[in-house]
Amino acid sequence: MPELRKDPIIGRWVIVATERARRPDQFANLAQPVVPEKNCPFCEGKESETPPEIYAVRPKNAPKNTPGWELRVVPSLTPFLRIEGDLERKGKGLYDLMNGVGAHEIVIETNKHIANIADLSEEQITKVLTCYIDRIVDLEKDQRFKYLLAFKNYGWTAGGGRVKHSRSQLIATPVNPKRVKEELVGARHYYEYHERCIFCDLIKQEMQTNERVILDIDGFIAIVPFASRFPFEIWILPKKHSCDFVSLAENERKDLAKILKQVLLKLKVGLNDPPYNYIIHTAPFRREKLGYWKTIADDYHWHIEITPRLTRVAGFEWGTGFYICPVTPEAAAKFLKEVNTG
Amino acid sequence: MNTDEPQEPGGYDHDEPRSGKAGVCPFCYGNESQTPPEIIAIRDTHTAPNTPGWQVRVVPNKFPALQIEGNLDRRGLGLYDMSNGVGAHEVIIETPYHDKDLCDLLTEEVSAILQIYCQRTLDLEKDKRFKYIMIFKNYGAAAGASLEHPHTQIIALPMVPKNVKEEIMGAHNYFEYRERCVFCDMIRQELEDKERIILENKNFFAFCPFVSRFPFEIWIMPKKHTAFFFETPLEIMPDLANILRGVVAKVKKVFGDTSYNFMIHTSPVNSDGYSFDNYHWHLEFMPKLTRVAGFEWGTGFYLVPTPPELAAKFLREAKVD
Repeated sequence: MPELRKDPIIGRWVIVATERARRPDQFANLAQPVVPEKNCPFCEGKESETPPEIYAVRPKNAPKNTPGWELRVVPSLTPFLRIEGDLERKGKGLYDLMNGVGAHEIVIETNKHIANIADLSEEQITKVLTCYIDRIVDLEKDQRFKYLLAFKNYGWTAGGGRVKHSRSQLIATPVNPKRVKEELVGARHYYEYHERCIFCDLIKQEMQTNERVILDIDGFIAIVPFASRFPFEIWILPKKHSCDFVSLAENERKDLAKILKQVLLKLKVGLNDPPYNYIIHTAPFRREKLGYWKTIADDYHWHIEITPRLTRVAGFEWGTGFYICPVTPEAAAKFLKEVNTG
Repeated sequence: MNTDEPQEPGGYDHDEPRSGKAGVCPFCYGNESQTPPEIIAIRDTHTAPNTPGWQVRVVPNKFPALQIEGNLDRRGLGLYDMSNGVGAHEVIIETPYHDKDLCDLLTEEVSAILQIYCQRTLDLEKDKRFKYIMIFKNYGAAAGASLEHPHTQIIALPMVPKNVKEEIMGAHNYFEYRERCVFCDMIRQELEDKERIILENKNFFAFCPFVSRFPFEIWIMPKKHTAFFFETPLEIMPDLANILRGVVAKVKKVFGDTSYNFMIHTSPVNSDGYSFDNYHWHLEFMPKLTRVAGFEWGTGFYLVPTPPELAAKFLREAKVD
């Protein structure tokens, strides 16, 4: 009998299809043509092929946009949103419009032609996380922006490009996205009722039942969520309550890099290098002005959501917001826990 | 939406909907024994169920997402809520021909398929456990179809899904404020502006919505305010069939064979007296041209590389018979 499960935070129902349960090797992975390494604009020595860098990890006093770097951030060549202009809202009959002000940056995570961040060293991944934090802190100064989304598209079905060079994206938006708001509202409702953070409660329950925990390292745990939308979906949560990813201390970044690398390696080894997305779910910019969300520090808990793209989202999911997950979260967790990454 | 450098149809790098791989198709003519026994069919007189001689067949899904037996049983598990998966999951095999799609059928044939949608909805609605009946089609691998043979799916759900609830609430709030249906207002504005219209006949029209989530997204709407899809009168069904067929043909004219999804957005059923007078059923059609990535998942914001006005122009100008 299939099972319906409800995400406790935003109230989304998921169908856990036990009858049509699929084994990990039953997911097809579409191969797509790739851009050869010699044409990669993100490799060391190709600095002139990207827009000028915004941020880089390179020796002190070394000139910008030249070789010798370990990590670079450049504006997107095809930005979703543009940095110039003031935010302007207008109406058109029934409809509302806004101009597309925002920032869109690309984090080039390594100077080598390596596709998957899972294959970078822990030290290098720590630099990537520090770069996210530095860029978020800088973009927060721009009063036009309300939220910063840090995410990665790896592989073709996950929306990644044909250039196989590890990178992630940062997008600052002029409004708080709907998906983020829903999560914040869900967490606040729970807090109002229970006076506890829903994520802290969730961590406690997961550690107790231990059915869906994949890794428990230092201050972080990686779990397969109870109401997973996608097969082998994984969340990484800090055990210590904190609403803001930016508040991560230096040593915590190292711990996060360690668990992130291990989780992504497990996906790579166990599921044959699948496409995936990860998204950092963190609090919006908190500014001391009208509309500031006073309780957010108590009721929200930042985390990372990793979703392998093994199935296609079809008409049913788009139409209903209901997801059909062909693998039970418990089986997925057990499988991933047992994957040996060497 | 990208208005500075709008992407034209040739700029999309979409996956092929059909792999062309051979194999035995359980939906093909002559393979009737490979599906679960049919629920209903349009077939020649004097032919027996589950034998050749049919034009449209409805069968239970062999791998249902939900199952018909049992009562809905909601329970808690610590922090979590769950329920058993009661529901129905049926497949409508639209044609005996493996290689045909809706645009290759006659208007009368498409009309017959649409009537089957209504007939199945009316039958499933009798089951009081079901609160929402969802009709949708996945065509092509990128759109989530696991079988190539053209088919539509019907899923009866034990609760009203979140997206549907949000849409109904939105329509309801608009009505409370203005005492008018938001969709009727939209129709008025679209028919006046004309720049997003693709096809129009007496009772229906197709347009690219102002707030498209996907490039070349298309909505088909009845001009007359109607809350439920299954209330569509028999005599105007050919008008709907004509528009739907035309939309598929135009999309394929512009992009070649393309994966797509469509779904019918209609009012919930068995709602214990709650009225959905403020809602207006419609069909949402989405060619699968781009891949949804981290940004869309993380924000619920969608990036549309071709503005709907330009998309509508391409589709409007695509000549089909």
